[in-house]
Amino acid sequence: MVARTIPSHANIRLLAKKNLGDLLEVLGRWGTVYAPVEKQPDVYTFAETTDLSAIALGYLRTALPPKRFMYPPEERLYNFTLSKGFEEPPQSEDRQILFGVHPCDIHAFSILDLVFAGPYPEPRYFKRRRRTAIIGLDCLPDVNCFCYSMDTDSVERGFDLFLTDIGEDYFVRVGSSWGEEVVRACKDLFTGLKEGSIEEYKRRADARSRMFESHVEMSDMPQIMELEFSNPLWEELGEKCLSCGSCSIVCPTCYCYDIIDQFDLKGDSGSRTRRWDSCLFKEFAQVAGFNFRQDRSTRVKLRYYHKQIAFVEEYGRSSCVGCGRCIETCPAKINIIEVLNEIRGKKVMSHAG
Amino acid sequence: MSKPRVGIFGLTSCAGDQLAILNCEDELLDIIGAVDLKSFVMAQSDNEEKEFDVAFVEGAVVTEENEEKLREVREKSAILVAIGTCACWGGIPASANGIERVELYRQVYDTEEDYFKCGRTVLPLKEIVRVDLSVPGCPIEKDQIIAAVGSLLHGVSPVLPTYAVCTECRFKENRCLLVKDDLLCCGPITLAGCGARCPSHGLPCKGCRGPVEEPNAASEFDILKEKGYTRHDLEKAFRTFAYSIEIPERA
Amino acid sequence: MLAERIDARVDPHKPHLARLIRIDPMVKDHRLFQLRFEDPKLNDEFTHKPGQFVMLSVLGVGEIPVSLCSSPSRKGIMELMVRKVGRVTSALYALRENDFVGIRGPYGNGFPVDDMKGKDLVIVAGGLGTAPLRGLLWYCLDNRAEFGKIALLYGSRSTKDMLFRSEMESLLNRDDIQCLLSVEKLDDEEKDTWRGYTGLVTDLFRHLGEIGEDAYAAVCGPPVMYKYVLEELLNKGFDKNRILMSLERRMKCGIGKCAHCAIGYHSSVGYRYVCIHGPIFTYWDATNLPEMI
Repeated sequence: MVARTIPSHANIRLLAKKNLGDLLEVLGRWGTVYAPVEKQPDVYTFAETTDLSAIALGYLRTALPPKRFMYPPEERLYNFTLSKGFEEPPQSEDRQILFGVHPCDIHAFSILDLVFAGPYPEPRYFKRRRRTAIIGLDCLPDVNCFCYSMDTDSVERGFDLFLTDIGEDYFVRVGSSWGEEVVRACKDLFTGLKEGSIEEYKRRADARSRMFESHVEMSDMPQIMELEFSNPLWEELGEKCLSCGSCSIVCPTCYCYDIIDQFDLKGDSGSRTRRWDSCLFKEFAQVAGFNFRQDRSTRVKLRYYHKQIAFVEEYGRSSCVGCGRCIETCPAKINIIEVLNEIRGKKVMSHAG
Repeated sequence: MSKPRVGIFGLTSCAGDQLAILNCEDELLDIIGAVDLKSFVMAQSDNEEKEFDVAFVEGAVVTEENEEKLREVREKSAILVAIGTCACWGGIPASANGIERVELYRQVYDTEEDYFKCGRTVLPLKEIVRVDLSVPGCPIEKDQIIAAVGSLLHGVSPVLPTYAVCTECRFKENRCLLVKDDLLCCGPITLAGCGARCPSHGLPCKGCRGPVEEPNAASEFDILKEKGYTRHDLEKAFRTFAYSIEIPERA
Repeated sequence: MLAERIDARVDPHKPHLARLIRIDPMVKDHRLFQLRFEDPKLNDEFTHKPGQFVMLSVLGVGEIPVSLCSSPSRKGIMELMVRKVGRVTSALYALRENDFVGIRGPYGNGFPVDDMKGKDLVIVAGGLGTAPLRGLLWYCLDNRAEFGKIALLYGSRSTKDMLFRSEMESLLNRDDIQCLLSVEKLDDEEKDTWRGYTGLVTDLFRHLGEIGEDAYAAVCGPPVMYKYVLEELLNKGFDKNRILMSLERRMKCGIGKCAHCAIGYHSSVGYRYVCIHGPIFTYWDATNLPEMI
């Protein structure tokens, strides 16, 4: 076999696994590093750490998606006084580094970008987005992962560095000038490609794509869902749904919010807060005297139609990234893989217990 | 802005909600400073029982005397706020509803006499008088009582969560005790506002804040039945704090 | 990457302070609020299309969408008609002249006034429905030469429930608009003086004069009214694309983000946010959005 030289423009390096701890330590000097840790048995979260021994490199999904670093669950938009009006509290300017973000969650950020741009771009989101670095990390799927069906199982952009496990090394793709700066600053930690690195990378990619157990056929899904608008399934789901909002809270692309004003005890001042909302909540479409979505089934349906049709029409793709969090979280075991397959007329039950 | 005349009253309960107000240590002076506290028997002497702009009432109506007191306070107050789960839902006292009283007297006091004159059906305030605002909790949450006072100073009611404990539990990234540990957790049908305090400490939600509006008790029952719980287990759990929760039969 | 290209320096959520300079009680639980921004520059710059709305903040209480009921042709005047229905509107009613509120906007698509130019226009209003239509009405009358025939059909329960009564009655004296007013019930003392009709707003259609084939209709009123009014309009030969209506939904942002006002889906119309794709929709949209009316 003829040894190949790697074209210099291909921004790829190798990071020996033994050097990962050092890289984390260096990253810590560039900003606050958040990495996946197991906070309770089988519950993972992005927590502040550069300690490799605390990081769960093999984690599958965090309880909350990393969207909270751009768009916190609850955030004070303004303080106000009755005489001076609204004033925005200062926002941190510090860099935050998300280490170990999986492809689905990186895709989710691109989707949130679309939503928070639009005709009225949201400055808080984009400020955080710009001061956040993303170090991606590959993963192996479980039965609730269906990113392969949603075309989000791999990423080409949206990261500063992306690490793929190829045995003794991580195959590191450099996705931004900042990422390259890190590589340049840590010359000793990174090396060029070795013989066989690319083959191993491809071999593992192939093996990974064969590991997906759950599939949803997404072609023509908008048309099919339109035809199934009156399917009794929506009523059945309405019976099961607890309106607890868990699915939307853990969703990496859900973005609905509520805004709450509150006086403080001083008598002439207070605050305006934004909080994640859920389309499953009873009050979601309540106006004074009338609720446009009184029935749970119409709310469950909205969630599916918004993600699988409306988003496709507006932005050219579904806003679901197949991360499986909603499946893992729903107490009533409403399973999006099953729902979409049933809508397609395929009675495929998941292998989940 | 003249300070609103405020009264804080207790019917039958543990007085924990009045205590929770006194426990607002950092804000207590602000609260007291913002209002003209006319009556708060638990905390001050020289109480004046005339008219109130806002009355906060804790406790369930367990005795005729309670009912009389409640009607009197309602009469004198422009705004009546039910504080605590007993006042909002009947709470623990109302869990006696549906049980033969004489049997309870015998068990608890070893007598068949209605010594405390509490033979009637225990009711939350709203079953007897108009309630303008409900701030549930066992006890009430400090931030909610502060929000209520802050808003009521301006004559408006605060926006309190209407969603379930699960929402706050997900915000906290807690391990789901219902899904992963098969525990009888009332989170999906219980009103949030506590920050999912119990599940955050590994304890299932007991429903102490009362139910959300339109709780899907039937679905929660289905979920728990599959885990081996009986209707009796559920009724016991759901009705500890809110005697009136129904678990509809599935058709 | 998109995130790097977006210019997000302006905060679209931040309300501007505005003063309630005049509060006029109208009929029961309806008041007309006239506002002026504290920043004089904003007063000069603020302009809107008829049918657009603003987000109105009652500080410490909440923010709600309210139709602009003044016409952009009357520069410097911002009027909002608010019915007391809930928490925020009740708090607004507790404010007095000179108190501050927050305003941001205008938002929404508004009426397609440029397309409507040169065409006939029939405005059908019921009850509070006059609020978003009043701006359109005066915009057209102030630019009278640019429009064809204009007719106003306004129905209310009784003369006491009529909004802008004297303003509407003054139109009866103009010959460049056909003004048809009706009340369902006429009080005895008005029997001799009432210059309108008695009956439902739909009864007014029989008095409506000749209307051009490409005429527009703008409809706003209580939900029960739509079905019958739309039927009358179709009978008159109106194109579904030229029947315009203003929708109301829960909104927290007004700018296409919070998702509360989402409606519908049908491939021919799509999925819509009332705040940015509306609040003005055509009857064709409504026919294809199962959740719209």
